[in-house]
Amino acid sequence: MIAEKTPAQRRATSKKAEILAPRQGLRLPMPIRRLQRQAPFLALQAAGELSSRLRALTGHEVIDLNRIMEVVQFIYQQRELARRGPNYAVDDFGFDPQWTESFIAVFKSLYRDYWRVEATGVEHVPATGRALLVANHAGVLPWDGAMIKTAVFTEHSRPRHVRALVASQFMGMPLMSWFLRRTGQAVGHPEDTRRLLERDELVLVFPEGTRGTGKGFKDRYRLRRFGRGGFAATAIRAQAPIIPISVVGSEEIYPMLGDLRPVARFLGLPYFPVTPFWPWLGPLGMIPLPSKWRIQFHPPVEVSNLPPNTAEDQHQVMALADDVRDTIQRGIYENLKLRRGVFL
Amino acid sequence: MTPNRVLVTGVSNPLGAEVARRLAPQVPHLFGCDVADPVSALEEMDFVHADTRLSVIGKLVRQLHIDTVVHLAVMVDSPHDVRSIHETDVIGTMNLLVGCAAPSSPVRKLVVKSSQAIYGAAPNDPSFFSEDMTNWERIASGVTRDLLEMEQLVSEFALRNEHCDVTVLRLGYRVSEDTSLAHYLSLPIVPTFAGYDPRLQLLHEDDAAEAIIRSVVGAHPGVFNVAGEGVILLSQAIGIMGGRAAPILPPYGKWFSRLGLRMLAGVDLPSHLAEMIAFGSVMDCARSAAEFRWTPAFSSRQTMDALAQGKQVELIETPSPPQEYELQVYLQQRRRRERNLIAERN
Repeated sequence: MIAEKTPAQRRATSKKAEILAPRQGLRLPMPIRRLQRQAPFLALQAAGELSSRLRALTGHEVIDLNRIMEVVQFIYQQRELARRGPNYAVDDFGFDPQWTESFIAVFKSLYRDYWRVEATGVEHVPATGRALLVANHAGVLPWDGAMIKTAVFTEHSRPRHVRALVASQFMGMPLMSWFLRRTGQAVGHPEDTRRLLERDELVLVFPEGTRGTGKGFKDRYRLRRFGRGGFAATAIRAQAPIIPISVVGSEEIYPMLGDLRPVARFLGLPYFPVTPFWPWLGPLGMIPLPSKWRIQFHPPVEVSNLPPNTAEDQHQVMALADDVRDTIQRGIYENLKLRRGVFL
Repeated sequence: MTPNRVLVTGVSNPLGAEVARRLAPQVPHLFGCDVADPVSALEEMDFVHADTRLSVIGKLVRQLHIDTVVHLAVMVDSPHDVRSIHETDVIGTMNLLVGCAAPSSPVRKLVVKSSQAIYGAAPNDPSFFSEDMTNWERIASGVTRDLLEMEQLVSEFALRNEHCDVTVLRLGYRVSEDTSLAHYLSLPIVPTFAGYDPRLQLLHEDDAAEAIIRSVVGAHPGVFNVAGEGVILLSQAIGIMGGRAAPILPPYGKWFSRLGLRMLAGVDLPSHLAEMIAFGSVMDCARSAAEFRWTPAFSSRQTMDALAQGKQVELIETPSPPQEYELQVYLQQRRRRERNLIAERN
């Protein structure tokens, strides 16, 4: 290293030695620090005590300790995540399983308490190996995708992450792109689907796309066109069984009365919904309504008996796509009958 | 065909120097040309001052009876202005191809360095770019458009000259010490685009050189993506470098953010990199892995770790002082004179 030429230069560029010892700040007295450390446990103990007293007093559960434990667990998981720094791995799609699982608690409470989802037939989802889940799409925001993911992760005997396919325009939006990628979503591109299926993942696809989420309130239970059957061709090529899913309840979370097309075009969105609350109430209008949901997983449609070159036969592909569509539509009507009311 | 007389263009840039150093023991005759002097002299290589932007390159190829051209004088990440990058990438390549064209030309193999920047980065891209996903329709920024034009010239050349094997290597983004990306990631507080945390795919310098060597020594005609395995998130990369990500740049109007970065942080981010930092860019390298039967030794993550450890650039030798360069030139001239004398005697 070449030294600076003059003493003046040396003085100008030299740095003061850094003091490495921790700075002595204000130190709280010992008992208070101990209390600080033990506060979470004490709070939990108190909550437990209160819960059992209330149970004895009223005869039924007032405070559910499990819920409280979930909240505590959530906080601890977040702290754990903050501590790991950059030392974690994501897969090629940018999926961070640990991060995603830390949010399951939030989605689970929505799943259980807010929409009171009743899921049937989860056992049809294979415990290992690839499968293509095909579902109907409704409600302005893709909450149905989140609930299907939660259903498979929490209700299946072997929790698995479902990788949903998202319209490419959402992948380019700020915050959306970050959140969707991190929680394991991929772009709705045939190549992405193929890759995910080759890795034996569960792939969730909404063939209705934004035509489904943007449908008006009066057609809410009617399925839109299933694209051009691309999902069926991909499933045949990858030899992945198709599992149709009917979701009932997502249609009512944002009753879409109208669509402001010029605004949508200006903002580059597929549609700009008008609901009884949006955009009149601002951000409050984005709170979904607490409708009652039912999710039915249908028995898998096997494609292993079809040779892979069937994928080039548009007639057979469309026939398969229509079969799946009919199954889902039928499932919607059946589940509507089983549901007592929209919000019950 | 084993390469006999090899010309490496752009031999004075770090990658070119590394390629020349590795090629030297493997080929009988090695020539290098560039506009700038090499950083360190290489005994086995004959260095020629030649500019690919001028038609002299064609004469050079014919007079030296070059049979293999390794075209590395393609600027992707460079402090030069847009104009001169265009001149070098498009006009330079055109000149070189003209020199190599026609059946009378001795050139039988051409290896061209291209870059991942050819795919650009846009909000509605697929998650992985395979080799056929270059897109003319996108509003291409400077380098992306230049590379597209360059590769089109190369593919036309490959179609017309069937006697010549053409390999195009689309090398992943590299983060050796002097790249804009490394400058950007090494900031203490790294401004990022608000609401984005894209996936980055990186390629280590060693692997870049290795891929080029493999395509020179073997016969692998075609276009190939070459990049490290796996991806790394931008926030992870910043964390590894010890900085802090500050999501403060507005996601729209990228030129404004670039101006801000240049003025406040002193980092000149080319527009293709600004797009990449927002939307990310990942290539599908399955084709190159199958063809070369080789995958880069460093994954994207290891490449980043290597940069953080400061061991990234394995310098060929310590940069030699100018006198030594002069000495090398003198020795080279003497060797040539001797060779000519022997030739005359025979």
